[in-house]
Amino acid sequence: MAMVEVSKVRKVYQRDAQAITVLDGMDLEVPEGEFVVLMGPSGSGKTTLLNLVAGIDRATSGTVRVAGTELASLSEGALARWRSHNIGFIFQFYNLIPVLTALENVELPLLLERLSRRERRERALTALKVVGLSDRAQHYPRQLSGGQEQRVAIARAIVSDPKVLVADEPTGDLDAKSAEEILTLMETLNREYRKTILMVTHDPRAAERAHVRRHLDKGVLKAS
Amino acid sequence: MRFLPLVLKHLRRSWIRSASTILALALCIFLFCTLQSFLAAISRNLKTANASRLVTRHAVSLVFNLPLSYHDRIAAIPGVRRVAMANWFGGARKPGDFSDFFPNFAIEAEPYLDMYPEIGLTPEERRAFITEPRGCVVGPDTATRMGWKVGDTFQLESFIPPYRAARPFEFVIQAIYHPDEARFPGADKTLMFFHHKYLYETTGRRIGVGTYVTEVDNPDNAGTVSKAIDALFANSDAETHTETEQAFRASFVAMAGNLALLLNTIGLAVTFTILLVTANTMSMAVRERRNEMGVLKTLGFTSGRVMGLVLTEAAVLGLFGGALGVLLSLGLIRALPHAPLIGPFVRGLAGFGLPLSLGAGGFALAIGIALAAGLVPAVLAYRARITDLLRQV
Repeated sequence: MAMVEVSKVRKVYQRDAQAITVLDGMDLEVPEGEFVVLMGPSGSGKTTLLNLVAGIDRATSGTVRVAGTELASLSEGALARWRSHNIGFIFQFYNLIPVLTALENVELPLLLERLSRRERRERALTALKVVGLSDRAQHYPRQLSGGQEQRVAIARAIVSDPKVLVADEPTGDLDAKSAEEILTLMETLNREYRKTILMVTHDPRAAERAHVRRHLDKGVLKAS
Repeated sequence: MRFLPLVLKHLRRSWIRSASTILALALCIFLFCTLQSFLAAISRNLKTANASRLVTRHAVSLVFNLPLSYHDRIAAIPGVRRVAMANWFGGARKPGDFSDFFPNFAIEAEPYLDMYPEIGLTPEERRAFITEPRGCVVGPDTATRMGWKVGDTFQLESFIPPYRAARPFEFVIQAIYHPDEARFPGADKTLMFFHHKYLYETTGRRIGVGTYVTEVDNPDNAGTVSKAIDALFANSDAETHTETEQAFRASFVAMAGNLALLLNTIGLAVTFTILLVTANTMSMAVRERRNEMGVLKTLGFTSGRVMGLVLTEAAVLGLFGGALGVLLSLGLIRALPHAPLIGPFVRGLAGFGLPLSLGAGGFALAIGIALAAGLVPAVLAYRARITDLLRQV
């Protein structure tokens, strides 16, 4: 069964009077538990595709079905709730909230669940353990290295136990060693926790970790 | 409540900005509560005026006295029940020192006390006062402040030249009046009354009457009687101006211009300015965090929830600002009666204080201003698309 099904998707952005077609009739199928990498030059539509799959943007036409849900059928509120249960998003620049500790950052998505404070703390600590940062729970982002920040961001992405992890150049802002650690962590999440991963990257070494590599060019998807 | 720690942490992030906004709001509420308390006290003071009492003064100015002979002529006008003389004495314990000032009046005791049931005296107290030429009656607040009791003596000296004698006036406290709070809410408890005759004789029988207080038998006739009094003395050396007691008291307020309009205009201007300042602060705070709002929405926070967080932040600022403003106002209102210069005036405002409703109103106003200021940034945060918010990185 496919975890992600993108069918005949078009995405057109309107810039003033000009219509810019970013994706034109895109098809993509990602089976459950797959680790797929999307590569391609800047402006090829990688991030747009990622945003559509993550439900943070909507397709102009076509269908996007993720974890069995047709995203176009959901209202804005329902889509937000769906994201909180099904998608873990990993950003290039980590996007941690600077005034919150690592633990509080990881706990953030759990504020949307009906959980006691203690349950939230326990789950957040477990997620931090998974990424090997339980000893940094009370540290603020400014007290962490880039690699550690990204690991906290990954803990935040997995804390709600989503089915799909979506990563937009997760190693793009890291040195080689930290990047290796992050990629190893993502491999572990895919292999041991059966997370379906869709990752955008420019880094060929990162791409080697994936099962499937797809190349996007001018909105058209090719196998590589 | 789950999101409150998040909101508080955001406010602590730019604590100088948050503190400035809270202070600005506090200043606004402080001014609002203090100025409105003044207006409320003045308004309450005016409301204690009796509709059946008229006050007659010199047409030119209150500074000039009226002849004693007017007394019986006013009393003879149809519709007049009784007339009493009353002079504002302006006495102080030490000449020129008004630090412990209290309002004091020389009155024609019997008719005056009949006209003013709010000066609550037992028949024995009343008799004791009337029969003692140097006797006086003191309000309970003044008696408490001065530590006086019945039988105590004290001296007063007026700063008004005609009321000055070779020696200070000496008084014996014959009674401390007790207004019936239920019948006369807001009655002044700081006043002191003594005999007009004592003033008249001590000053060598040279003084006249500052005001005549007239009680009419029917409040509906107040206008007719007023006109009759003034007509009686028209074209004389000392023409009169007669008005209701309420109008007479209001004229003191009017001496300082339209006080209510002035105070309300100041209040509105300050409120509007603070609204703009707070709106600007909230907009800046939200603009700086556009990316974080994009992250929250990506994590599954609905647009409504993000909007709610911004409004909660604004409400918390309003809450702190309101509380601080009300506390500051309360502190000032309690301190003012003891302040040098303005203290005596404030003590003369019966029941001057911060009413609970006004404090609650100030508090609500602070939250209202903060919410209004936060509304535009909150709506912008609500409407913004995630991809646009994240593009700000």
